[in-house]
Amino acid sequence: MGARDFVLAGLLAVASAPPPPAKVPAGVILVKGAWSSASDSTTPVPEAGKVTARDYHSDYFQLTYPFIEGWQQKFAGPPPSDRGYYVLAQVEPVGEHSGSVLIDAQDLFFTATPAANAVELVSYTASHLRADYKVEHPPTEVTMAGRHFARLDYVSPVTDLHWTVLTTQMRCHAVQFTLTSPDPTVIEQLIAGMQGMKWGDNGPLCVKDYKKVLNRVDPILTDRRFNSIPVRVVIDTSGKVKFIHFISSFPEQARSITEALQQWRFEPYVSNGKAVEVETGILFGVQPNR
Amino acid sequence: MSRIQQPAAFAVGLLLISAASAQTDPGVRAGAVNGQAAATATSPLPLASVTANTPQGVLEFFADGLDRFQEVDNVSGGTGGTGLGPRFNFNQCAACHSQPTFGGSSPANNPEAAVISAGIVSAGTNSIPSFITANGPTREARFPFFFNANGTANTAAPNGGVEDLYTVSGRADAGACSLPQPSFASAAAANNLIFRIPTPVFGAGLVENIDDSTLLNNQSAQGGSGLGISGTFNRNGNDGTIARFGWKAQNKSLQLFAGEAYNVEMGITNEVFPQDRPLPGEEVLGNGLPANCLNLAKKGYPEDITNFAATTGSDQFATNASIPSDVVAFSMFMKLLAPPTPSPTTPGGATSISHGSAVFNSIGCSVCHTPTINSTQASNVTPSLGNAPVNAFSDFEIHHMGTGLNDNVSQGNAGGDQFRTAPLWGVGQRIFFLHDGRTGNLLTAIRAHSSNGSEANAVVSNFNSLSAASQQDVLNFLRSL
Repeated sequence: MGARDFVLAGLLAVASAPPPPAKVPAGVILVKGAWSSASDSTTPVPEAGKVTARDYHSDYFQLTYPFIEGWQQKFAGPPPSDRGYYVLAQVEPVGEHSGSVLIDAQDLFFTATPAANAVELVSYTASHLRADYKVEHPPTEVTMAGRHFARLDYVSPVTDLHWTVLTTQMRCHAVQFTLTSPDPTVIEQLIAGMQGMKWGDNGPLCVKDYKKVLNRVDPILTDRRFNSIPVRVVIDTSGKVKFIHFISSFPEQARSITEALQQWRFEPYVSNGKAVEVETGILFGVQPNR
Repeated sequence: MSRIQQPAAFAVGLLLISAASAQTDPGVRAGAVNGQAAATATSPLPLASVTANTPQGVLEFFADGLDRFQEVDNVSGGTGGTGLGPRFNFNQCAACHSQPTFGGSSPANNPEAAVISAGIVSAGTNSIPSFITANGPTREARFPFFFNANGTANTAAPNGGVEDLYTVSGRADAGACSLPQPSFASAAAANNLIFRIPTPVFGAGLVENIDDSTLLNNQSAQGGSGLGISGTFNRNGNDGTIARFGWKAQNKSLQLFAGEAYNVEMGITNEVFPQDRPLPGEEVLGNGLPANCLNLAKKGYPEDITNFAATTGSDQFATNASIPSDVVAFSMFMKLLAPPTPSPTTPGGATSISHGSAVFNSIGCSVCHTPTINSTQASNVTPSLGNAPVNAFSDFEIHHMGTGLNDNVSQGNAGGDQFRTAPLWGVGQRIFFLHDGRTGNLLTAIRAHSSNGSEANAVVSNFNSLSAASQQDVLNFLRSL
């Protein structure tokens, strides 16, 4: 019996009892579709925030959001989408369900919404709310924890569920807190809790469509996937690609694109007369519908 | 706990029990099949223009397709069709696609559990797998991963192909073909076993006739931001257009869907899938099927072909509809089937259903379960398929559904946890839910949408924020569909 036959014997019923099998781990997604990945595991990325019993922390956004007493994350969110949309955290009461906080982020380099910044994004949301909702307070600018947010309040008259959306901009992302509850006083508590947030602001400069490419090598995508592959890169002061973040790609696509991007050369980005690191977005694959 | 605290805790416990049981799935909606007075359990309705026989002759194709959908296949000889096996899940389309009528999903009485008593398989060579039960869902089985030589699952080697439940071995019409069943018990012990139930195909022609641009525009208008939702489409690897049939939207067209099912579920080779199909392990790691299990129908390949003899006007093939192969007839049947008609009043009354519909929209269910996609392309088949709204309650995108529903099977661009938004039209008369039929309770199915990595977590959270009365209205609304 050859090696192949041994494998087949494992597949098919045989007279002798098979050895005890090791189990496929339950609750683990082992076979992934397009997923996020990066050229190293130490540079922070948006989806790698940490949720503890007390708070959500993102090294990428340099954000710490403290949960209000008795609220925790029940389930982690999905992977980033091929349009650069992230679910960063979702928090609910541990006991009786009285609402939720969804923290998400939209990469403004790849958004499908015609909005160049967080304020425009919230305005677009307000003007495109479906008929199921009624705006309670139109978009306004507010300051929370020392940071500017665009705030929108709306309600579902049918369910009496209230939404307050607070959106700010970080590293060319619209970072959004969606507070939902049937009880407006719960939302007020959640807003008060947001005053305890901490923010840093030390990431590289982000520049949309930085196209000063001196040397460009196109990747060879061998499989016909027809997907969008949004990629964020950090370009160092010499114009080389220092870090690659695949927001959504298949592994073989990430390998081909990495190989190509390592050969790209950009004109160094100059700010105040000095070359600085810059973060930009590049879309490979197919153009998404916008 | 102090004695003083005990009554309070007891009271809280009672409240929780009360809240948990306050809303219930009304169950399979009674009354007209598919909400259509003229439909019966064996006679689903075609589209209106097909009933009107427009264009001339189309009704004959529908009737012929329905007839062939019920054909019982043998391996060789006998009455009915031939070509069954060498491996299969059942010997007739309609047996598994039969709730609430032909073209539907799993029936209450599982025909796969009766294959020995019905003489479809030999008890000497086949046994009923433990996950096939008399009143459970009809299922196909898959092993997400290949096995190592020592019987352990090799999680570095994804498999995911269908492992047919039964073999023709031991049947009088199967000659000397001797094949064992897959070792489902070992696979279950290794947690390397997942299931799929039949998808209903009512209204499938409307779905097939939606232009890609319509689906893409619907995606752009969805507004899933703020709800954690951001789906994508599974695309056909040949031309890049949107695939839309099957649990993971892996099939581009109804003909492909039919051809694959005829080959994979029944073992019948056809003009779309012309070779007899070994199991994934036999194909990838072995030498395919043994010679004495090939050409069992003794008529060459493919077993299902265009009926050339029909052109001679013989008695057997006397009509236009009888010329195409079974696969074409199946796809025509599916294409021409009417979608279910929702009930305006049952269950719970019109007010509850109407309110449930509004709540369904408000909490975000309708972002993915898009009630209506407007509209189909002009149709060159029959007028009812053209420029028509598609009230399927689906966006036909694939979404991450998290670890709870993940089956570790990749199909096309869909990963293990990505599934097509299941169309909800007709859900009121379905018995089993979710891709593997794990539950018959809609409330359980809704809550199963929530787990680590799911795009539906925020929406389920909104559902959980509702009063028991509003949740009941949502359940009533769903059972009205």
